[in-house]
Amino acid sequence: MEQKKNAKLSRAVLEMKFMKKTKERVEKEKDDAEGEAMYANEITEAMRKSGNINFTEVGIFTCKDLIEGRLSFNGMNPEIEKLMNDYHQKLIKTDKVRETEISDVEMANAYSSTVNTMGKKFETKRNRKKNKFLKPSDD
Amino acid sequence: MPENIGEFVFPGDVVRDLKVVNGVILRGPGLHSHEEPNCLLVTRAGKLCFKPPNVYWVEGHFKRYYPKKGDLVVGIIKKSGNVCKVDIGSSEVASLSLLSFEGATKKQKPDLQVGDVVYAKLLSAHREMEPELVCVDSYYKAGKLGPLSNDGFVMNVSLNFVNRILDVNSLLLRALGQKYVFEIAVGMNGKVWINGQRTIDVLNLMNALLAAERESNSNIVNVCRRYLT
Repeated sequence: MEQKKNAKLSRAVLEMKFMKKTKERVEKEKDDAEGEAMYANEITEAMRKSGNINFTEVGIFTCKDLIEGRLSFNGMNPEIEKLMNDYHQKLIKTDKVRETEISDVEMANAYSSTVNTMGKKFETKRNRKKNKFLKPSDD
Repeated sequence: MPENIGEFVFPGDVVRDLKVVNGVILRGPGLHSHEEPNCLLVTRAGKLCFKPPNVYWVEGHFKRYYPKKGDLVVGIIKKSGNVCKVDIGSSEVASLSLLSFEGATKKQKPDLQVGDVVYAKLLSAHREMEPELVCVDSYYKAGKLGPLSNDGFVMNVSLNFVNRILDVNSLLLRALGQKYVFEIAVGMNGKVWINGQRTIDVLNLMNALLAAERESNSNIVNVCRRYLT
C-alpha cells in the first residue's frame, strides 16, 4: 500500500478523466513539499524534539559585534548624532574592556613598589609588637 | 567543538562536532545545513569563525551580496513609482514602497527620483521572492533610515571590509571622525555613502577607505595617520 502511494504517475496518466482524485492528491503533495522547503528555516517544536541539531540562518550582524553604519561626525548631521547613543555606548564598553585588560598587567608592575612599602609598614608594626612580646622572654 | 575553527575552509568542506545550545545552532553566511544530520556544509571559501555559545560563520573576501533579513543597506533607486525598484547589489532588485517612510500617506509621499540613494532595512529576504525594503522601524519611526542627501558620494567596497569598519574595535572611523566633518552610511551590501562639507574632504575620505581596504587591521592606524597629517 505504501509503495502504491509513493509511486510516481506520469502527467499523461494524471490527465485522464478517471484520475481526477489522484491528480488532486499529487498536486497537494507537491504544494506541501514546496511549502516545507520555503519554511525550512523556521524551527518547529517537533523538529526540536527529534534530537537532531537545528540550524537557524542569521546575518553577519548577529555573528559579529557590529555598530550601525549610519554615523555623523563633528556636527555634520545633528539629527543623526542625536541618535548615535548606541554607538557611543558600545565604544565606551569596548574601551572599558581594553582598559581593564591593560590595567590587570600594569597594576601589578606599576603598583608593586607601593605594595612593597605598604607591606613593609605592616611588617614593622608586627615586628614591633613581636618585640614587645618577646621582651619578657628575653631575660 | 570542530577542529578547524579559525582555519581556511573551502566550498564542499563539512564541519562536524558542532557545539550546540538547546539543540539550536546559528549559522551565518557561507554555511549551509548538510544532507547528513548534525553537520554544516561550507559554501564559500574563507576563514571558519565561531562565537560562543553557538554561532558559526565563514569570513572571507566576498563581493557578491546575499540579502539577509534585518540588514541595513544602502540602495540606489532604479525605477520610481508607488513601489520603487532599488539596486542593493543583490542578484535581484529590491522593492521599496513609498508608503513605508515615516509620516507618508497616499497623498503625501516622499519625492524619490531615479538615481537617489536610500538607507533602508531589509524586511524580508526569501529565496523565491524579491527582497523588500522599508525605511521605518516597527514603531513607524524613521530613526537613522531614509533618503540620503544628493550631495553625497557612493562607492563600493568588499563585504568583509564593511564588517571590519563597523567592528566596535575598529579605529578607522573614529580616527577619521577626529579630523573631518562628515557623515557616512555604510550598507551591509558593500555600498558606502559619504557626505562632507567640502569636496576635497569627501575625496580624502574615499581614498582613505580605499587604502584601508587592502591593509591589515593593525596597519590601518598607520594608514589613517598618513591621511590625518
